[in-house]
Formats: sequence, C-alpha cells, structure tokens
Amino acid sequence: MGGRGRGRGNAVSFNIEQLGFGRGEAGPVSVTQPPPLFPSLENRPLPLIKDVENEYILVTQKDLSTRMRNSPFYLKKSENPSYEKELPVLWNRMPAELRETLPKRLATGNSKVTLNAKKKKVEDPDKIFAKLEKKERNESEVEEDGDGKEDEDDQDKSDDEKVENEDDVEEDLDEEMDDHTDYANNYFENGEAYLEDEEGQDDGEAQF
Amino acid sequence: MEKLSAKSDPIYLGEAIVKKALAVMIQHNLVKFQASERNNNVAEYSMMHHNVYCLIRYPKYLYMIKRIYGTSEEILLEILLNLGQASASNVIFHSANRLNEANDSEVLSPSALHQSFQRLAQDNFIIRCPKLAENATLLKVPTLEIEEKEKFAVPNVEIEPIARMLKEKATQLGGHCDSEIIWRVNHERFDIELRNVILVNAAARRVDTTAGELYHLILKLWRESSNPDSPATTPVSYNVIKDAVRKNDSSPILLEHFDHYLRVLHEDSAGLIDKPGDAGGGQFNLDYSKVFENLACASLDSIVLERFGSKALRLFRLTRIQKFMEQDQMQNVAMIPAKEAKMFTYKLLEHNFLQIKELKKGTSNFAPVKSFILYHVDLPQVVRTVLEASYKGLFNAMVRQMHDLTENKRLLEKHAMLESMLERLKGDDGVPEEEIAELSDTMHPAEKSLVEKIHLMSDNLTLGQTQADETILILESYLKFKSKEL
Repeated sequence: MGGRGRGRGNAVSFNIEQLGFGRGEAGPVSVTQPPPLFPSLENRPLPLIKDVENEYILVTQKDLSTRMRNSPFYLKKSENPSYEKELPVLWNRMPAELRETLPKRLATGNSKVTLNAKKKKVEDPDKIFAKLEKKERNESEVEEDGDGKEDEDDQDKSDDEKVENEDDVEEDLDEEMDDHTDYANNYFENGEAYLEDEEGQDDGEAQF
Repeated sequence: MEKLSAKSDPIYLGEAIVKKALAVMIQHNLVKFQASERNNNVAEYSMMHHNVYCLIRYPKYLYMIKRIYGTSEEILLEILLNLGQASASNVIFHSANRLNEANDSEVLSPSALHQSFQRLAQDNFIIRCPKLAENATLLKVPTLEIEEKEKFAVPNVEIEPIARMLKEKATQLGGHCDSEIIWRVNHERFDIELRNVILVNAAARRVDTTAGELYHLILKLWRESSNPDSPATTPVSYNVIKDAVRKNDSSPILLEHFDHYLRVLHEDSAGLIDKPGDAGGGQFNLDYSKVFENLACASLDSIVLERFGSKALRLFRLTRIQKFMEQDQMQNVAMIPAKEAKMFTYKLLEHNFLQIKELKKGTSNFAPVKSFILYHVDLPQVVRTVLEASYKGLFNAMVRQMHDLTENKRLLEKHAMLESMLERLKGDDGVPEEEIAELSDTMHPAEKSLVEKIHLMSDNLTLGQTQADETILILESYLKFKSKEL
C-alpha cells in the first residue's frame, strides 16, 4: 500500500482531496452487514407499455396456457393408474424405452407382481449373473453385520415402498447392469434395490 | 448440454411419469435424444435451452403471423404450437375444427387452409422435422434424418378425408397419407423476424413511419440474398431497391421521396443502413454488429437513466464515448459539481456499469508512487451484467405470478365457474332477474374485488415479462453478433 515506499516521512500516495472529502468531514460509512435482500427503489420504474400488441399478447398468453393445462399433455403427479388417456404423442419417433409403460399399464395392479416374476425368467443370462453376484455381496454384508433383524426391517420397508416403486421393477428388460456400479445399493441393503436403476442414487444418497 | 440416461430420479417421481414427461418434452421440441456412443440401445437426452426460453415468445409469434398474413395462418400456427409436432393434415383438421367452433358456420374449407399452410412453409416459419430412417423401426433408438431441400416442401394432402371427418364432427383425424411427414415451428426464423421488427420500429422512430416501410422492404431484400448467420448482409444496389419499391404497393409518399428517405436512413447515426460502395447507384448493406451495438447502448442508457438519474447518464455516456477518462476530466466535461460527480461515479462503479483501469506512473524511487485511475465502459461486460439482471427480473415476475395464481386457485376457480354459469343463464332468456342476482351474490363483493386485483396483477406481470424479453433479445443479439465479428 502507499506510504510504505522508500520515500521519507509521512507522504501517502493519494491526496485527501482526491477522495472527495475535506479533512474535517467524516469518512464513508462502513458496511456492517450484507446489502438488504429487497433494496428500496429510489426511482419509480416507467409504466408498462399497453398498446394493441400487448393487449393481444395478454389475451393470447392466457388462452395458450389454459389450453395447455387442459390438454392431455399436462401431466399430473397423482394419476390414477387404472384409467389412462392415451398421450397424443408420436410414439414411433421416440426411443423404445419411453414407449414401454403403455402395454404394462393396461395390466391391473394385482397381477403386476406375478408379471414381474415371469419376466425375470426371460432375462438374459448376463443379468442373472450380475444379480447373483450382487445377492452374494448382499448376503456377505448381512453376515458381517450379524444382524438378521435388519434384513427383515428392510423387507418390511421394501414392501411399503413396493406400492410406490412398482413401476421401477418393470424396467428391467433393457437395463445395462454391467455399466453401473452397485455400491450405493449395497450401502442401504434395501432388498428391493437390486432391480432398480442406480443412476440417480449416486447423486442423492451416497453419504460419507 | 447435459446428457442424461433415462430415468435418473425414479424414487421421487415414479418412473412412468418420468417417461411420459420426457415423451411430452420431445414432442414439443424441448428435449432431443440420440443413441449413446457406447451402446446403441440406450438413448441420451439433452435439453434445447433456446427452445425452452422461446416458450415465453409464443404469443408474440402469433401476433406477428396475424399481422403478416391473417386469421387462418394464425390458427394454423396456434394448433401447431399446441401439438408440438404434427402432420399437415392433422394441423389442417384441427384448425378447421377450431374455426368452426368460433364461427358457427363453416367458413373455411380445408383446401383454403392447405394453401395457408403452404404460405407459412414457403416463408420458412414452419419446418419439417427429420423423418425416420429406413430401418429405424427396428432400432431401440430411432435415427432421424432430413435433407436440406426437403425441409420446407409441403406434401400433397388429401382434402376429401379431412372434409369428411369434419362433416362427421370427429375429434381425431384417423390415418392419413402424409402422417409420416411431421412439421414443427421454426424458431430461428421467428428470431430473425423479431429482430427485424425491432429494427423496423427503430427506423420508424428515428425518422417516420414511411421510412419504417422502406426499411421493411429493404430488410426483405437483404434476407433473400444473404446468409442468416453472417454478421453483415450482402450489399444490395440502389436500382434493385428502387425496383422493389415500385413493384410493391407502397404509399405514394415513399415513391416520391424514396431517394430522400434512403439518404436519411443512411446518414442516421444508428447505422441502420451502411454504404460500402457506389456501384449500381450505391451499394447498401446492414452491419448487424454495429446496429445492435447502438441498440444495446441505447438500452443501457435508458436503464442508467431510470435507475440513477440524468446526471449519472451524462457521466456514463461520456465515458462510453471517450473510452478512458479520469475522474477530474469527467466532472469537468460533464459539468457536474465535484461531489455529485464522485457520488455517481461510485454508484455506477458499484453496479458494474463503469470499470476501473489503474496505470502506475512511477517516476523515481524516492517519491511515493502515483497512479492514474481511469474509468471506462467495457461494453460486453456491462451488457452481460444487465442481461443477467434481466433474466432475474423475468424469473422473479414468473415466480410471483405463479405464486399468486396458485395461492388463490380456489377463489379464481370459483369465480370462473360463476362467470360461466352467469353467461349461460343470460343466454337463456326465460330466467328471471332475481335468479341471476342471487347467483351473483354467492360471491361476496370483497371476494370479487380481490379476484379483480389478482387478474390485474397477473396481467401486469405478463406485460413485464414481455418487455423484459425484448430487452433480453436486444442484448443477446448484440453479444451474438459481437462474438461473430471476432
């Protein structure tokens, strides 16, 4: 900083005048807290332009959003699985994995578990191998913990979750098990988990 | 561009919903997919940011089409926006249905709509989506391709099946001959059109409306002859412009003073018309980077004016034009008292409108080091700051609007139901006055005034969003053309 120069005496590199206030006046107010979240508006903003174009835009915007909301494209979270309107989407132009929900959804809820059991047999030998490996790992971890109870609790939990995660079990058919790592699944020892896709869990659940 | 494999978060949403959501977004041109490099059976999805942003511009698109063509083209575009991607027959069918609903008498025939569709395609406002490759149905992830010349070619559409379905009041068009030829809205073309509207309005404001008309014609000529991505248009000669003016149905004032107007537009400092040469009576072109720099500076100037006042604006403009200035120089040339000048300079600096450059002037080792502090305006940086602020403003308006509407959802729905019932009752003449009055009273007047207030606020927020979008368009165009010229 200025002042520590090799020059003699008390000279500093700036003049007091340059800073804009004389000797007697107080310095600038020091900042003691972050700036306010909603700073006060000094000047009122100009009024909004309201001409023919903007009138039209207002009406059209409302019209468009109402139509979109009422159209079948608007997906609601709590959809009744037994009754479903077909989405007016061009399915033959989409990847196959997105289409698969449709035929399965026509099956009723009860038969879903048995459907899955049948599907397991149809899977590739690779996937069966991968699952067996994981099962082994699961079992070895359970032995280490020496707590049979934990397994049961997990089963109970997984039964509850099954109601929500029913859909997850279905996507087995073309999943690439070999590329995913399994450590996140094993960490929680969720009995349900070995059939789920692990991609998202790495982000949310790995705890260290 | 993020690539996601399918189903990243099934636990929170449920897998079926994720799949459907992806399908809906692909249908509406917001998400695209391609086969992953490692494995052809897995699709990777990426978001098309610009298209998602353009959702807010849909009403503007409709307004432009309505002004350039007319109602039938407007309805065609609206149906296409609602469906996302659709075949020509489907669009025509649904448009005819919509028009019949509105008019109660069959005014437009499908063949007229077909011609309107062709007009939209000719001017490139709608574009064909890539079609399925031959063996695509066998693949898990279909490949889509399209050739350049096919992009705007309208197929033959069979009118009779459509007319038949309309007579039968069907809600869906069944299978039809061009069901594999899918169309969507061409966002790039609309962007160009929005930019042109800004330029024509600028010309009309600087000179007058006839000049705006002339400029509109010249823009059309430039668009036909130049590559849309180049930073400057190809020059067009004076004679060509004159011919176009004569051929077009221009106002007599324009024909008479055409020379005058051209010269005025050329000499205007906004850079709307550039004259790179004199061949053919004068060559005229448009340098996008210069024009948009001027427009961006004008936007920044008005922002500084509204936020800080005219004195701050004087300082800002001065520094921008003079490039580098010292504090003393600034307050002298701007003729503003020292204290105020310093305060405004500091304010502008704080909000990033001004930047500082320090130059050391070390003379000897014994004297303390003196340094010059120069102020300057780094235009791209300032534009980027203001652009971020505009995005935030736009976002705030949208969030607030959504919040207001969902908080009062019940009330608004009740009001809407009441309104529709009242309309229906008023239509039937045999209903006594008291019933209507009684029905009106089910809603308390305080509630009604609250609903009014909510509607008003929501409208203002929409208008605010639209105007923020205009600023964003100007600033984004400036940055785009600036990067091209480098």
